Amino acid sequence: MTSTSATVSTALGVTEWAIRERRPGELVLETDAAALPALADRAVLHLNGRLMSLFASDERSITGRFLVHHVWFLPGVRTFLHISAPVDPAAPSYPSIAAKYPAANWFEREVMDFFGLAPEGHPNPTRVALHDDWPDGAWALRMDFPYDRAVPRVPGDFHPFRPVTGEGVFQVPVGPVHAGIIEPGHFRFGVAGEPVLYLQLRLFYVHKGIEKRFEQLPWRHGLFLAESISGDTAVGHALAYAHAIERLADVMVPPRARALRVILLELERMYNHTADIGALATDVAFTVPASRAQALREGLVRLQDQLFGTRLLRGTIALGGVKCDLSPQGCDVLRTHLHVFEKEFDDLITLLIDSGTFTDRVDGTGILTNQAARDLGIVGIAARASGVDADLRRDHPHDAYEGLPFEVPVEDGGDVRARLMVRAREVEQSLLILHQVLDAMSDSPLVAQLPDRLPARSSALGWVEAWRGPCTHWVATGDRGEIIRVKVTDPSFLNWPGLVHAVPGNIIPDFPVINKSFNLSYSGNDR
Amino acid sequence: MTLMIHDALAATIMALLQTAGLLAAAPLLRAAIKKMKARLQNRQGPPLRQGYYDLAKLLRKEPIRSETASWVYVAGPRVYFAAAVAATTLVPVLFAAAPLEAAGGILLLVGTLALGRFALATAALDTGSPFGGMGASRDMTIAALAEPALMLGLFTSALAAGSLNLGALVRSVLQRGPSFHPSDLLAFAGLFIIVIAETGRIPVDNPATHLELTMIHEAMVLEYAGPDLALVEWTSALKELLYLTLLVDLFIPVGIATSAAPGAILVSLLAWAGKVFMLAIAVTLAESTNAKLRLFRVPELVSVSLGLAFLALAIRFL
Repeated sequence: MTSTSATVSTALGVTEWAIRERRPGELVLETDAAALPALADRAVLHLNGRLMSLFASDERSITGRFLVHHVWFLPGVRTFLHISAPVDPAAPSYPSIAAKYPAANWFEREVMDFFGLAPEGHPNPTRVALHDDWPDGAWALRMDFPYDRAVPRVPGDFHPFRPVTGEGVFQVPVGPVHAGIIEPGHFRFGVAGEPVLYLQLRLFYVHKGIEKRFEQLPWRHGLFLAESISGDTAVGHALAYAHAIERLADVMVPPRARALRVILLELERMYNHTADIGALATDVAFTVPASRAQALREGLVRLQDQLFGTRLLRGTIALGGVKCDLSPQGCDVLRTHLHVFEKEFDDLITLLIDSGTFTDRVDGTGILTNQAARDLGIVGIAARASGVDADLRRDHPHDAYEGLPFEVPVEDGGDVRARLMVRAREVEQSLLILHQVLDAMSDSPLVAQLPDRLPARSSALGWVEAWRGPCTHWVATGDRGEIIRVKVTDPSFLNWPGLVHAVPGNIIPDFPVINKSFNLSYSGNDR
Repeated sequence: MTLMIHDALAATIMALLQTAGLLAAAPLLRAAIKKMKARLQNRQGPPLRQGYYDLAKLLRKEPIRSETASWVYVAGPRVYFAAAVAATTLVPVLFAAAPLEAAGGILLLVGTLALGRFALATAALDTGSPFGGMGASRDMTIAALAEPALMLGLFTSALAAGSLNLGALVRSVLQRGPSFHPSDLLAFAGLFIIVIAETGRIPVDNPATHLELTMIHEAMVLEYAGPDLALVEWTSALKELLYLTLLVDLFIPVGIATSAAPGAILVSLLAWAGKVFMLAIAVTLAESTNAKLRLFRVPELVSVSLGLAFLALAIRFL
């Protein structure tokens, strides 16, 4: 019994032996479904808990029941709290917490879409992931649903968009196919002239059944699937999956590999943040800084190609370590590049924020209030730009982040400017982190030996603070140590509802820049 | 020595030549601005011929039209094109006389351009696409302010010349010599803003954007394809050249030919091209050093132009 689990059990009002510390930093509590809402209340009220994921798993073949899982992060005690509750297949429902904790809204509806477990008391129990042409009663993530089963399409269009009424009020449908090279998503604006009254999203056009696919793949191959979840977060997702597998197998990653992982993750953060800053300039037609940012980003990905043989850092993470190394010369090349980059990046930011026409576009645009960010469980850059001081690299360190001195930039504005500045300041911190890690690299093997089999009937959570926000992978194994469930949570899934709250009250032509300031992944959201 | 064109045949030939020349040069102007913008961003940019290639490509293509579109939609680009072509005949380019200046002056010019705009905005509404409606409403909002500002700016010059006729106006400016009267400077500044607004340039509109929700002019013409689109693009380029020529005429007509001597025409051509190029550089710099304004700030900018024109007019009376 550790002091952490004692604190948590007291706060949750459960007996101490109910809570197990399954692995370091990951508490597990099994409970009745009926107790879920009360436990959620206490986790939030007493432990400042943040909902990181909510999902189901089908264990009917093992225990005859479904399980519903709530994963909370408890920042005060630096631990995850994994609450699971059985659901009887004969009465497939469980109490919803979405009315009180909107962060659970999409999660619970997704559980309904893919497992057919109804969230009782959900304020809007409609489909979120499934589109109209998917038949009722076909629950794709249940174990008895073959992964290659084709379902008949249901014809007709009956997606219930909220109607608009009033003189001069109308709807503007945009997408799913857009003019730029972006992924598909449908936006339905209710507008009165130019001002937006509300925004409805329709996503999941690129649902690929990735979680189902994990169940068919040997666990070693899952890594390749993980790094394809969202192309711009290849390191983030690969690392989250690797963490989960390493925790399952109880493997320690060698120190040099941990340092290299930090380097890879920070490089991914830098090239994405730089690209986003340029894209913000593009969206307000500020052409010169837009080009400069693009050139800076290109410089970074070419450097990555030179150092690791991959522009977008695919194939760099291994289960148990990394697949690439940095020679001393490589370290020098990286250092030199970072020095030049730092200067140019600084010039870029100055160019942007010294321009009156630019700041006029981003100041006060698309405000996500601190209250809304907290209520919706927004994560990552979007949360930190709304005054939520949360970063897993500091709050629950993974890889070589433990003990690294760096700041977590937080802005209070909640507007496009704040999201821009969080990115800019994070790039500065990334530079700091990279220099520290480069200076302290030790010699060690690059990969730890993994067992041939994963432990049977076990599970573990892997987490990473990727550039957009936390990526979490929960991996569960069956009787032979094979994977029976992987739950992937991309920060985009938590943050899309934030966009819906940031847009109303702005005018339609400001939508692209607000959207870009969140820059959420469709692929990572839809999986 | 005044070069009034009385002969109807001569006027027609001159109108045809001038319009053909402007139509031929217009894509080059756009490409030149694109190229300069690209160079300012450390990019190569498209070749200067690209404007012609694009037009040739579009003209070869099949015109895809929405099933719900009526004749209004088909007529839009044609009226827009015809109006702009008609407007060119009212503006002096190489000679200190407009080919058809007997037909009318400033009022006819502004009215003709407004007709083209009206035709395109109605056509944009015709398909019922939300973007067309959005673009039309935005374009009209800006036009409602830009047109009076344009008129006022032109009137300021007309007042000094004592004529609304552009040919007479140019000849009067030429006679008086270069002027740095505050009234002229203010009117120039006001009209330059209007030219930016009317040609859909940053900071008012972004001709290069792919973001349909932010577009003004481009949103109106989003549905057009093939030769229809070619007409729209060509007209927009022609209008841009026309506006820059107008600025040159009213404020810096130095070098413009007052006789039909080959030498004078050559000097006039070089002077005109040089002056238009200088203005194109100014447009490029305005585009490259500014972000696009928030849509609701555009009327403020256009109001500034209206204010400048008012001031210019008031100073003229002092």
